[in-house]
Amino acid sequence: MTSGDRIRGAFVGLAIGDAAGWPAQRHRSGLHAPWSRRLRRELDEFAEKHALTALPVPFALNQPVGPLATGPSDDAEWLAWTAATIGRDRAEAFGELAGRTDLRVRISVRSALDGLAAGRRPPVTGHDNPHFFDDSAAVRAVAFGAAGLDPRADAEVTNAGDGVLAALAVAAAVGTAVRGGDAEQVAAAALAELPAYTAIGTAARIALDVARAAGDPFSAVPELDAALLDHVYSYGVAAARTVPVALALTVASGGRLGAAVPAAACLPDLADSAPALTGALTGAIGGYAALPAAWAGAARTLAGCCLPDLAGTDLLALADDLRRPANDAKSRGEA
Amino acid sequence: MSILDRARGCLLGLAAGDALGRPAENLEPAEIVRRWGRLTEIEPGKGGTDDTEYSIFAAMLLSRHGSRLTAGDVARAYREEVVPLVEGPMRGAGFSELGTVQALRRGLEPPLTGRWHEHGWSDGLAMRAAPYGIFAAGEPGEAARLVAADGAVSHSGEGVYGGQAVAAAVAAAMAGAEPDETVAAGLAAIPEDSWTSRSVRAAADIARRAGGAEELHDAVVVRHYPWTDLAPEAVALAFAAYLAGGGDVEESVVAAANLGRDADTTAAIAGALSGAGRGESGVPARWAREIGPVRGACLPVVAGRHVLDVAAELVAARDRERPEGI
Repeated sequence: MTSGDRIRGAFVGLAIGDAAGWPAQRHRSGLHAPWSRRLRRELDEFAEKHALTALPVPFALNQPVGPLATGPSDDAEWLAWTAATIGRDRAEAFGELAGRTDLRVRISVRSALDGLAAGRRPPVTGHDNPHFFDDSAAVRAVAFGAAGLDPRADAEVTNAGDGVLAALAVAAAVGTAVRGGDAEQVAAAALAELPAYTAIGTAARIALDVARAAGDPFSAVPELDAALLDHVYSYGVAAARTVPVALALTVASGGRLGAAVPAAACLPDLADSAPALTGALTGAIGGYAALPAAWAGAARTLAGCCLPDLAGTDLLALADDLRRPANDAKSRGEA
Repeated sequence: MSILDRARGCLLGLAAGDALGRPAENLEPAEIVRRWGRLTEIEPGKGGTDDTEYSIFAAMLLSRHGSRLTAGDVARAYREEVVPLVEGPMRGAGFSELGTVQALRRGLEPPLTGRWHEHGWSDGLAMRAAPYGIFAAGEPGEAARLVAADGAVSHSGEGVYGGQAVAAAVAAAMAGAEPDETVAAGLAAIPEDSWTSRSVRAAADIARRAGGAEELHDAVVVRHYPWTDLAPEAVALAFAAYLAGGGDVEESVVAAANLGRDADTTAAIAGALSGAGRGESGVPARWAREIGPVRGACLPVVAGRHVLDVAAELVAARDRERPEGI
């Protein structure tokens, strides 16, 4: 297997995991007219009012059904945007998104874009940020890890603390996988970036112990929920939860995407990004050729539901672009 | 003015701010104008919220342990007096308190308990920081050191800084500092390169040139975030209101409550700062009459306690260690 095949595996693996989580369809319904999403919110109210257990799902009334088919959403689009801008100054690249009104972004990214628009610079934009701890930089770090580049400057635009450590860990893990590392080596590379005194470092070690004891990824799901998830906060995007789950399921599956990603998708709180991160790690370990073909076909083409400019983009082409000569200078000196 | 008078003013001001701000919590300033014109009267019979009750809890810890208070003492108090009640009668806990309870149930120890959950930056420590400033009156650095022991259990980063800024500022006001000096003492207790420091400085500049609510919100409010309990925002709005009110209790507390957002907490902090500066007689009598013993709705362990008794206990605890006064 070549490192190029592993980079393709990381990219399309991330998109498969992204597509496997329930939030993908919600994100993709962003391509529909606003009134159709309003109707869904009203049906939610209706279910509450009439005490119905029939819960509304995204639906297409006088709207195209295509966006509701299995496919990638926010995480895959942010990976693609990162790969396409990877050689540029990060504040400058993000700065071009500040002021745009047609994007759908995370709270950490929205706050950072607001900060940039107000004249603040990184690392303040990532630090003075209510979701500094989320995993948006960790998702983007898949591109940096695949290219053998340091993700820190990119991470500090939108994150701080655990959010930046998560990006360092994911980049180290993906980089190790692209160089031929196995699941244990990938997890070890990530752990080396996560000090034990941090929440993410503590949670990662707990998650790995739990998953090893459980033996296989699906068996680990209830134990991971009990060990990591408090179910107190309104959003499930903390890097200190999603990255440890991704590492744990990668190890428990021996690096097999087909076993690890479905288990990650069974933790509903974390289903927006934990499956995507799990898919990136296991996809990089196993390579593109080993991915389930139907999933790769469904996941490799972007919908543009969050970054509309990327509609129709092929992740495979972006993964291959990452290795072209124009990018070689940046990775020179990297192991 | 005696320490006891200032201590009574501080906690009475805090309780009055909590009660006044309560109905304005999470409202936009324009909505507050629509409902009340200017909100100046406490809703009769409703009392305060978690701000007052958690401040009493903090004062109890200080009365027990004094300046030897450690994060371990605070964690033990949570385990014995908060965790067993959290699914029974306890209501009104914020994310940071519930996240802390979950971390303690997992067997984690501070400071990891304050890092484990996502709300390390909440204003939950800032809302209960005033007793540390009373206990360490005239010693802002000591107040900041003590409140950090409490904060290590439930908060991290900006949440601890928010508590330290309030505790240090109250300590300065307790020794008669004017509003500008009080805010400076709060800022001096936290790193300049912090979100809280940047927000407080921006808000204070606007308040000093009599900028409006809109300008203040633009400067310190995170617009695309649904929760209002960010310490950098709440502490900045509270300090700005206190400066805008010139240290007068009624003006400062009313200014904070009418800014909306986490209005009970910001008005409580403005009340603590101004009450420490002006003493008990600075708190409007019509507000003081509305402050009775707390019900323990948020924290059952403090049910029946009155802030004026708590103020006396804090001063007694202080006198045991510092018989020479300030």
